[in-house]
Amino acid sequence: MLWIALHLPLLSLESFVATLPGGAAKQQPVALMDAQRIVCANAAAQALGVKIGLKHATALALAPQLTLGQADPARDRQAITGVAHAALAFTPSVTLEPWGDASTAPHTVLLEVQASLRYFGGRAKLLQCLRAAMAPLGHQVVCASALTAQGAALLSRLDDAPQGLHAADLPSLGCLLHGAPVWLLEAGREHWDVLQGMGLRTCADLQRLPRSGVARRFGETLLDEFDRALGNRPDPRRWITLPDTFSSRLELFARADTTEQVLHGASLLLVRLMAWASAQHAQVRRFTLQMQHEARHRHDAQTPPDSTLDIALAEPSSDIAHLRLLLRERLAHLQLPAPTLELQLYCSDIARRAPPNQELFATTQSEREGLVRLIERLQARLGGEQVQRLSRIEDHRPERSSALHANPAAALEAGPARGRATASAAAQAMPAPRPVWLLPQPEALPERQFRPLLDGRALHLLCGPERIESGWWDAALAERDYFIAQASDGALVWIYRARLPLSAAAEGQGWFLQGRFG
Amino acid sequence: MPSAVSHLDLASPARQALRGPVRRVPGESVLLAPQDLHPALWLGHQLGRNPDQAVASGFAMLDAQLPGGGWPRRALTELLLPHPGIGEIRLLSPSLVATQQAGRLVMVFDPPAHLSAWALAQLGIDVTQLLVINTRCKVVAGSDSLWALEQALKSGHVGAVLAWLPPRLRAERLRRLQLAANSHDGPAFVLRETAAQQRPTAAPLRLALRAGGADVLSVRLLKRRGPPLETPLQLALPPVLSSLARSRSRAAQIEAPPLPVAATFINLA
Repeated sequence: MLWIALHLPLLSLESFVATLPGGAAKQQPVALMDAQRIVCANAAAQALGVKIGLKHATALALAPQLTLGQADPARDRQAITGVAHAALAFTPSVTLEPWGDASTAPHTVLLEVQASLRYFGGRAKLLQCLRAAMAPLGHQVVCASALTAQGAALLSRLDDAPQGLHAADLPSLGCLLHGAPVWLLEAGREHWDVLQGMGLRTCADLQRLPRSGVARRFGETLLDEFDRALGNRPDPRRWITLPDTFSSRLELFARADTTEQVLHGASLLLVRLMAWASAQHAQVRRFTLQMQHEARHRHDAQTPPDSTLDIALAEPSSDIAHLRLLLRERLAHLQLPAPTLELQLYCSDIARRAPPNQELFATTQSEREGLVRLIERLQARLGGEQVQRLSRIEDHRPERSSALHANPAAALEAGPARGRATASAAAQAMPAPRPVWLLPQPEALPERQFRPLLDGRALHLLCGPERIESGWWDAALAERDYFIAQASDGALVWIYRARLPLSAAAEGQGWFLQGRFG
Repeated sequence: MPSAVSHLDLASPARQALRGPVRRVPGESVLLAPQDLHPALWLGHQLGRNPDQAVASGFAMLDAQLPGGGWPRRALTELLLPHPGIGEIRLLSPSLVATQQAGRLVMVFDPPAHLSAWALAQLGIDVTQLLVINTRCKVVAGSDSLWALEQALKSGHVGAVLAWLPPRLRAERLRRLQLAANSHDGPAFVLRETAAQQRPTAAPLRLALRAGGADVLSVRLLKRRGPPLETPLQLALPPVLSSLARSRSRAAQIEAPPLPVAATFINLA
């Protein structure tokens, strides 16, 4: 059994900073308070003299520019759940410490990785991958590994070295833990003052005392925790399970008036979504962003309490940059009826499939994927109905023989071979030439001496008539004689006139320009 | 000639090519042709060559005059035409068909009128492998109408691009498109109004099209990597008319147009 512990010392603070508007700099002093007392502060705030335990007013007097937030266990729980989901991509055995209430400090995620070592190529490589997977979540992570779960957790809190502590066997773990201060143990923090008064500073001091006496005075839990860390006592754990649907919310610190600010918050939710999806080797097919508006800023009662943005992908994707780009394009079009206070991201539609192979050179598969992305990007900016596919319709009336569909994905599905076969079949089915350009509305042509004029010059009829008489079954009956004519500059045009005086009454007298041979 | 070459700052392949001939025997003058040094060099009276293989236009007369022997890849080809419907699609259709037969997609941006799917099929174009993109229907804040075209060129996944540009386009925006076309592995045609020929262009190839009679297109090469071409090319397009009708058109052009015989239709109703 090899356990890796991920300790997140600044989780509460970092999850609060994520809710600040996009422009918040890292150097800005930020602190969290609970019941009017500072519970944690970042380095910039500590440099100004803000300490843990100070009163709210004192802290503000020391640093007037301090951004003060309320500690929120629900927010911390969302954040640590994201970390745990990201860890699930490496092993199915992930647990939180403390298990019962993950929102209280110390925030630690424990992974049992013995079975994954060989696949990832050893502990060092695995830690490297783990750190890379955690990086987008934006938390400071301290890693430590040991043979017991409790031991790894204690080691991760002991030292915040970037490499992390590693205890290869139980004796070395014992050596490391003997020098550890007593407050590392959960029960040790409760009795911190008494223990210090008795001169018990490190775990070694605690070990030296008679067991029964320590147990009577401080309870069984103090020694129990230490025994579990050293592997002297069984330490059963419960694994976290992945929910079927993803749902994560983020309450923004300031009202988001622009979609740019919304996007900043939504990016974090997207990172958590990808962590959830990668834990089950899935790709996202559809997700929903819900923006809740502040009640008193709604203009009237008709304004909805929330706006929903539903994004469906043509091709399931696990590329966060692509999802963010789509979200940005869609958000740019969205007009928010009121400022946003809270964001919620849902996803239940995923595609579980093997990840694609990495390719050195472009192949048809990767080109197709790139095309799908390009089309999605164009659709997101221009609107779904502006990217169109042309199709033939079996109708002789030229204005009804072609149709545009806003479903470009089908263009990629149809193989080139099949398309060519239908193209050649079409050429045989329609022996008479047709012009490439069709006017949206037939243009009435002036006449001089019974000859149609185009741009003031007479047209020469070269070919025709070709009679098209169709559509008696619907409202648009066409009875026309078509001619190919040559304009004065040599270009060929397609003109018609109504076949009968009777239908001329319906379609109009005289010559009409229908199309141009492009 | 060799002395002129020696002070040229040449890229490394050129230098490797140089290494051999430079070891000259004293007293013997070695003439180095610039086209042997580097593919990007050519003499004024020669046609330029493309490092990428060009896409054959399907017209032997035109291929002979185009640098590289066809439509260039990774570069814009600018076509100037007075109005749509003079045979421009028939001019481009052989190269578009070849692109589609290679299994790649053709994108059409902002066509000036409705496209007839049957007519395209008659030209051999597979309409299922063709996407039509309208960029000017909706004004999007913060982006211009060429954004979509630029994205398509940049992505490099589209086989061929055919775009009608808005009139009076500024030169720097065309230049941006030309830069984007660098990553586009295929022909990229931009179609513009004839008046644009007064202004300079960033595209390395510029052609002016004019109808030259029935089923004939007159192509003037305004700009190419090579010597200027004085006379326009008369290209015989894939015919729309039967040979009889074509001869009728030729006769009509020679003699004065006769008064038309009014066609009479018997009203059966």
